[in-house]
Amino acid sequence: MQPILKINLTTGKTEEYRIPERWEKDFLGGASLAARILYSGLTKELDPLSAEAPLLFLMGPMTGTSGPTTGRFVICGKGPATGLWAESNIGGFWGPELRAAGYDGLWITGKASEPVYLWLNGSRLEVRSAAHLWGQDTYTTQDKVKEEVGDKSTRVCVIGEAGEKQVLYASIMCDHGRMAGRTGMGAVMGSKNLKAIAVRGRNEIPVFNLVAYKILRSESNRRLKDDNEAKIIREVGTGGVANYAEYLGAMPVKYYSRGSFEKIDDVSGSKMAETILVGRSACQGCVIACGRVVKLPQDMTKRKGPEHETMVGFGANLLNDDLEAIVDLGDLCDHYGMDTISTSNTIGLAFHLYERGIITEKDTGGIALKWGDVNAIEQLVRMIGSRDGLGDIMAQGARRFGAYFNAEEEAVQVNGLEVAYHDPRGVSGMALSYATSPRGACHNQSDYFFVDWGHTQEKIGIEYLSRHGQAEKAANVAKHQDWRTMFNSMVMCIFANVEPDEQVKLINAACGLDWSLEDLMKSGERAWNLKRAINNRMGLTRANDKLPKALLEPFSDGGSAGFVPDIQGMLSAYYQARGWDVETGKPSREKLLELGLEDVAQDLWGEDLALG
Amino acid sequence: MPAVFPSEEWLKGLEAKLNSDQRYAEIAKHWEGDLFFFIEPEGNLKERLTFYLDLWHGTCRGVHYNPQPEAYPKPAFTLTASYNNIAAILSGNLNPMTAMMTSKLKVKGSMGYMMRNVPTVLDFVRVAQEVTTEIM
Repeated sequence: MQPILKINLTTGKTEEYRIPERWEKDFLGGASLAARILYSGLTKELDPLSAEAPLLFLMGPMTGTSGPTTGRFVICGKGPATGLWAESNIGGFWGPELRAAGYDGLWITGKASEPVYLWLNGSRLEVRSAAHLWGQDTYTTQDKVKEEVGDKSTRVCVIGEAGEKQVLYASIMCDHGRMAGRTGMGAVMGSKNLKAIAVRGRNEIPVFNLVAYKILRSESNRRLKDDNEAKIIREVGTGGVANYAEYLGAMPVKYYSRGSFEKIDDVSGSKMAETILVGRSACQGCVIACGRVVKLPQDMTKRKGPEHETMVGFGANLLNDDLEAIVDLGDLCDHYGMDTISTSNTIGLAFHLYERGIITEKDTGGIALKWGDVNAIEQLVRMIGSRDGLGDIMAQGARRFGAYFNAEEEAVQVNGLEVAYHDPRGVSGMALSYATSPRGACHNQSDYFFVDWGHTQEKIGIEYLSRHGQAEKAANVAKHQDWRTMFNSMVMCIFANVEPDEQVKLINAACGLDWSLEDLMKSGERAWNLKRAINNRMGLTRANDKLPKALLEPFSDGGSAGFVPDIQGMLSAYYQARGWDVETGKPSREKLLELGLEDVAQDLWGEDLALG
Repeated sequence: MPAVFPSEEWLKGLEAKLNSDQRYAEIAKHWEGDLFFFIEPEGNLKERLTFYLDLWHGTCRGVHYNPQPEAYPKPAFTLTASYNNIAAILSGNLNPMTAMMTSKLKVKGSMGYMMRNVPTVLDFVRVAQEVTTEIM
């Protein structure tokens, strides 16, 4: 891979960091390689919003190569809301542009004395004042920075007001609407007084065997274009699964308290396609084009349409059946630069606490929180983004918001990350996905709901088990996590139905490796264990592997009425499948050694290793 | 009228069952769309086989065994699968959603409509399984 550019914003010093060759071979790139690079610096004591905290933008070996959905990259560090490993991947065109500038990563530390933005024009880096941009929203900032650097082809990553004010789930945006949403990397960027990073590159992106790679990528993209799932996502977006998810009782309704939503058809991707959809957008090289472009009757301005999580979060989750309002609410979050899952989940908690009388109008500043009231929802979004009134507490995430009112157990979160919108009572594999994900309740480290819907992967033995299966699916989930970890190493979009053996061929051609399918899966397992070890070092124990109370109460209605996952039974089977120590929840010494993580084994098991 | 798959009798049996099954009538009451099934030769099937079904509001308005595709130029959906995969769906060995999500069953037509009507699709498969006594 190309070097990483290290930038210390306190001193203004830069240096090129060469990635050790063995790490590239063992971890490939993206989030896995980032975990290896950051491993030793991520400690329990590290304040994620301090100058010392790292913020690493890292590419995959295929980023920008027009491979199947490989326009993506990841942003990693320590999560400010979770205190754990944080990674958030993002599409658009910024990553490919950075590679074309000659770097495969930017490693930011330090803190600028005043707001700045970075302008990387080829290998030339300028640190410019962003004082005049501070307070501007994400869209305006991108436009202004582009205008200032005077090159329309420049790509810009930015934070909005939420990042500046360190809302703990602030996101980072690029390319007018592509978001690194989860785990608050926007807050980390804001804590460094870094408003934006503009990049322009003109080099060819290196590919080890371009001739072979071109053939493979065109076959792969052709297959992908014709794939049923890709066709669904292209036609109706990710929100196209709404009816099916609701039918299964896998869609959270009224803050995870109901199993069905009678108005689902009004807030689905199909409805959007029939009414307000006017176009689609895609990341670099992507043949799927999941992005929605919509026009609302009131202003006829083109804007980004919501994907599944935003549609459910501001829709069924809050009993809101107004699709156009959901578009506006998602758009508002984007302008502030906030994760729509965490924002809507935390707002859901506010409504839930209000209904129970735990908070009142005295706390909300006079706003009555009536389910489905779009005006109330919008006011809360604005209060969070600006950290006004109750919004200042809500900006710290559902866990701390709940705890502030002595109701932490009511918050639907795991380890400080708000649960996404795939309910494990409808798709039980998600119970393990949420409980064991290295970044909190994440649906993308293993989007096992796809498997529970029927999407198997025969070539690596991920079979279909009942969507209400229990411990018997633990090994399946572990395997799926390892495989998806490789998506985050490549970095490939999880909407791409690319067969694992096809991925191996692409990797080998792009990187000059000689991997087998086994090597692919082993690399995924290695990275999963490494991230677990990072979290163990930062204080995570077996007790952290749990589900919130709400997800363990059966629905009385809908397609999953009466079912709850047996999380303890599932976890026991999972530790066994993983080869983890059942008592502590740490990867066993033997497992770490088997994966070639000797230094990690030493750190986690210390003297035991010496004795062994 | 249970029958051996694939045969004209089987297709007629499916039509009869679709028109008499109360559960299907209820679940599929909003479905509007005719479809082609193309069954690609594999295993015991030596030549491509085509079924046509006209499904409308919980009923089956007609079927046609091995028609020329030109006879129905604009079907709402075209479904294509290998014989073994269709046989696996009918015998319950392949989850129909798995078949669709892994593209073992290729779908052409409005994917949005299909996703909106998954319960209808699944119940259609149930009915088809119930009329199948034997697979060739």
